[in-house]
Amino acid sequence: MTSLVETHNLTRRYGSNLALDHLNLTIPEGAIFGFIGPNGAGKTTTMRILTTLLPPTSGEALIAGVSVTREPRAVRRLVGFMPDFFGVYDNMKSWEYLDFFGRSYGIPAQRRQQLIGELLELVDLAHKRDEPVMSLSRGMKQRLSLARSMMHDPRLLILDEPASGLDPRARIELRELLKELRVMGKTIMISSHILSELAEMCTHIGIIERGKLLAAGEVQEILRTLRPHRIVEIRVVAGAAHAEALLRAHPDVLELRREGARAESDGQEAPLNDETGPHTLLADFDGDEHALGDLLAMLIAEGVRISHFAEQSGDLEDIFLHVTKGIV
Amino acid sequence: MLELNPILVKDLRSRMRGARAYILLTIYLLILAGVALLLYVAIARDIGNELNAGRQIGRALFFTISTVALIEVCLITPVLTSGSIAGEKERQTYDLLVASLLTPWQIVWGKLVSALAFALLLIVAIVPVMSLAFLFGGIGLTEVLIAIVGLVVTALLYATIGLFWSAMLQSSLGATSFAIGTVIALLLGIPFLVVIFSLIIGSSAPSALLDSIWFIYLSRFVIALHPFIALGTTASQLSSGGEIFFEVVRTGATQVVVPSPWVLYSALSIFFSAALLAASVRLVQPMRTGADRKTRAVKKR
Repeated sequence: MTSLVETHNLTRRYGSNLALDHLNLTIPEGAIFGFIGPNGAGKTTTMRILTTLLPPTSGEALIAGVSVTREPRAVRRLVGFMPDFFGVYDNMKSWEYLDFFGRSYGIPAQRRQQLIGELLELVDLAHKRDEPVMSLSRGMKQRLSLARSMMHDPRLLILDEPASGLDPRARIELRELLKELRVMGKTIMISSHILSELAEMCTHIGIIERGKLLAAGEVQEILRTLRPHRIVEIRVVAGAAHAEALLRAHPDVLELRREGARAESDGQEAPLNDETGPHTLLADFDGDEHALGDLLAMLIAEGVRISHFAEQSGDLEDIFLHVTKGIV
Repeated sequence: MLELNPILVKDLRSRMRGARAYILLTIYLLILAGVALLLYVAIARDIGNELNAGRQIGRALFFTISTVALIEVCLITPVLTSGSIAGEKERQTYDLLVASLLTPWQIVWGKLVSALAFALLLIVAIVPVMSLAFLFGGIGLTEVLIAIVGLVVTALLYATIGLFWSAMLQSSLGATSFAIGTVIALLLGIPFLVVIFSLIIGSSAPSALLDSIWFIYLSRFVIALHPFIALGTTASQLSSGGEIFFEVVRTGATQVVVPSPWVLYSALSIFFSAALLAASVRLVQPMRTGADRKTRAVKKR
C-alpha cells in the first residue's frame, strides 16, 4: 500500500507550549486511521496542519506527495475536512448548504445538482433536502457535514471527533457510513478520545500524547507488538483445582488468575471446588499458536473437562493505558 | 458558464430572505420622507409667496435629504459588513470557507459586494425622494450626481472599515463596536482637530504660512477626509458659481489650483477603501495568520 499522508518531524509551537513534537506519521491509502489521544494531545493541531488551516512551526506534511505549506490549494483539492463542530448558517436549506460549498470548490452547476442528490442519498438525508439546516438533529447535521466534506470528491477525509455528542443510534449510522466510504476507496483519518468508538472501525491507529506519537500502525500489529503475551480464557467444568495446578507449573504460563478474583489475592485462595460451578481461569501465555494447542491437549489428557478455551481478543483500551502509562 | 462569487450568492440569499431587509429599508425611507415633509411645512410657512420660494424650498429639501441619507449611509454600511467575516468565525464556518478552494480575495470581495449591494439599494431608493426637490427647482443635475457619487464612495469606504474590523476580530459584537467607534472618531474627530488647530494657530499665524502651497494642500486634505465637510463645501462653492472639478485659491500674488473637495474626498475614499480591502485579504490568509501569531508569541516571550 502506498502512503497517502506522510509527516516528517512535524512540529508546532504555541508560544512556549509544544503542541506537536517531531511527529512522524504515515497513513496508507485506503486505510481508516484512528487518531487516539487524550484531550489536548495534539490531534486537532495535526488535523489543522493537514487541512492547511495552520502552518507548522517546522517539519513537513505531505498529502499524496503534495506539501501542505508549499501547495496549500492543491492539498485542499485532496482533503475533505469535518471539524469537531458543525458550522450552520441561519436561513439555509440542506441542499443550499451543499450547493454553497460545491460552488466554493468550483464544481460546475450541472454536476453540483446531481452530486447534491447523490450525497444526500448516501448520508440518508434525501427526505430533508428542503428542510432548514437549523432544524436537523445533531446526528443529521453531522451526516450533512460529512456530505459537505465529500462535495469535491477528496481522496482523504479528515474527521475531527465526528462521534462526539451523538446518541448510540447516530453513532452506529456514522460507523456504517464510514465503512461505505472505505469501500468507495476513501482514506479516512478520524480522531477521538473515546477508544471504543474507534476500535471497531479502524484498520490503523496512531496513539498520540503531549504532541508525541507513541505508537502507530495496523491495529492487529499494534495489538501484537504491544502485548507480546496472549491472555487465554479457560472455562473448566470439572477438575478445576487440578487444571489450576497444572497451569501454574507450566513454563509458558506467566501468570494465572481466576476470573473475578483480585490480582493481589492470587495463589492464597482455597483450591477450586467443582461443586461451586464451572470456573474460569485467565492465563497470560507466552507462546505461539502450536504451544497453545499443546497446552489444550495436555489439559484434556490430564482429564480436565473444558467447555471454553479461547484467546481473549485484544482490547485497544488496555493498549492505550499501557502505552500512555506514566506520561500523563 | 461564469459562476457568481459563492459568498455573494449565499449572503444575498440570506440577507434578502425574510422580512429584515424590507423592514430596514422601510424605516430608512420613512425617516427620510418624514424629515423632508417636516422641512417643507416649516419652510413653506416661513417663506410665504415670494418669487423665489420654490427654488429655496427645492434647495433646502435637497440638502436636507442628502444630509440625512449621508448620516444613514455612514451608520448602516459599517454595521452591514462588520458582522460578515466575524459572523463566519462565530458560526464556526470560517474554517470551512478558508479550507475550501475559495481564495481570501473571493471571501472578502463577496462579503463587500453583498453589503454594498444592499447599501446601493438604499441609495437608489432615495432618488425618488430626492427628485421631489426637482419639482421645486433650484437644483441642477450636477448637484444630484455629485451627491450620489458622494453617497456611493462613502458607502464603499465605511463598508470596508466594517469589513476590516470583521476580518481582524473574532466576534461580530467587537467588530461592530470598533467599526462604529472608527466612524465616530472620523466624523467627530476631524472637525474637533480642525477647531483645536485653528484655535491654537488663530490669528497669530504668519500669513506666509497660511499662504504657503503646503498649508493649502494640507488643509484641503484634512477637509477631504470628512464626508459632510467635503460635500458641504462643494455645495456652497457650486451655489456661489465655482467650478465643478477644481477650485482656484488666491494667495497674495499667486493662484493655486486644487481639486474640488468632493473630487479629493472621492479619490481618498477609494484609496483608503483599497488599502483596507488589501489589509482584510491579508488577515484572511490562513497560513499567514498562523505565522503572525507565531511571531507575536515569540515577541511575547
